[in-house]
Amino acid sequence: MTDARRSHLESLISRVALGDRAAFDALYDATSAKLHAVCLSVLKDRPEAEETLQEVYIRIWQGAARYAANGLSPMTWLITIARNRSIDRLRARSARPPTAPEDAAAQVASGDPTPESATIAAQERRMLDECLAQLAAPQAGAVRAVYLEGFSYADLAEREGLPINTVRSWLRRSLLRLKDCVTQ
Amino acid sequence: MTPDTPLTPAEDDEVLAAELALGLLDGAVAEAAVARLSQDPGFARAVRGWQERLAGLAEGLTPVMAPARARQAIRERLGHARPPLANDPTARPAWWRGPAGWLAGLLAVAATVALLWQPGQPGPEAPMAPGAPVYQAQLSGADAVLQAAARIEGRDVRIALESGAAPEGRDWEVWWIGSEDATPVSMGVMPRDGEMRMTLPEGMEPSPLVRLALSDEPAGGSPTGQATGPVVAIAGLTAL
Repeated sequence: MTDARRSHLESLISRVALGDRAAFDALYDATSAKLHAVCLSVLKDRPEAEETLQEVYIRIWQGAARYAANGLSPMTWLITIARNRSIDRLRARSARPPTAPEDAAAQVASGDPTPESATIAAQERRMLDECLAQLAAPQAGAVRAVYLEGFSYADLAEREGLPINTVRSWLRRSLLRLKDCVTQ
Repeated sequence: MTPDTPLTPAEDDEVLAAELALGLLDGAVAEAAVARLSQDPGFARAVRGWQERLAGLAEGLTPVMAPARARQAIRERLGHARPPLANDPTARPAWWRGPAGWLAGLLAVAATVALLWQPGQPGPEAPMAPGAPVYQAQLSGADAVLQAAARIEGRDVRIALESGAAPEGRDWEVWWIGSEDATPVSMGVMPRDGEMRMTLPEGMEPSPLVRLALSDEPAGGSPTGQATGPVVAIAGLTAL
């Protein structure tokens, strides 16, 4: 994401926080296709994804005032809302006990200097694909399945035919390796 | 770090932050981690760090445009637009009984219908420049039974099926192919009647390099947002 696009989205969100409907429309135009793709990736069902997308934008309208303080880049905030709402719905579908993917971190005010964290985030994103490629294929696939398809440890264990604790242990180590790689 | 050495406390915290960001925690562990967010700024920063870096995975997804009705539904749910033909709860009861009321009622219906039919109309932020470039495309199936027409003015897109509806249980899905090697972007499912209308999002710029395609998908469109069926019609944009 370019700096220009980032600041454009930030300014739209700050206007949405003031109740600016035109800014909300413009934010929808600029981001809804991407957020819809996130909902579809997790839910794999068009009507449910569309319904979830509506909930996501209602949450964006209602939560925009708290965005500025959380220190997340605008697309991360939007994608996180879309992903978490989709996973809520996915877990409700399977009647599994709700395991909260957390919006809470986005609600906590951050003392970080935003420009610096934005630069770091942009660098880490550029490294992400390369670093995922350095993991073994099943591990990289597991990280993608968890993030993009809402897999739980139980889902991963079933797919890999391994005990949950084994899967948990190797995914945890994979996540650490990924972080070491992207923050080098 | 080998698979056998236990994680250090710092590593354990880092992974816990990742698991919270990913939604992998359950029950009491999840609750404790959420509670820690407001008490431990370092931990909250680690969770945000994971949200930032993992969001890169979603940035790689092919965008899928939502149907125009989704935006209309959001506007209605937020009270930014009235549902079609809804009563106005703020109107005084006797007011609409006179002839002026009938006229106003008709106007209100006309306005609502106009709004409903033009959900993609550019808002005040995106005024249509006079003389905005206009493109069209005529999509034909191999047997020429399937015909669809697209017209793009500025960022306003209209696509209508003229003949050759999808068979029972199937739908034609509309795709935007930005260039020779670009990943197609779904523009949604072709309505059997009437036209679909939308505003192009940022990053989708009309040009003679762009092609529109229809693919054969299960009813309601590809469940994943990625094309699954064969392309039944394709055409490039022509500048008018």
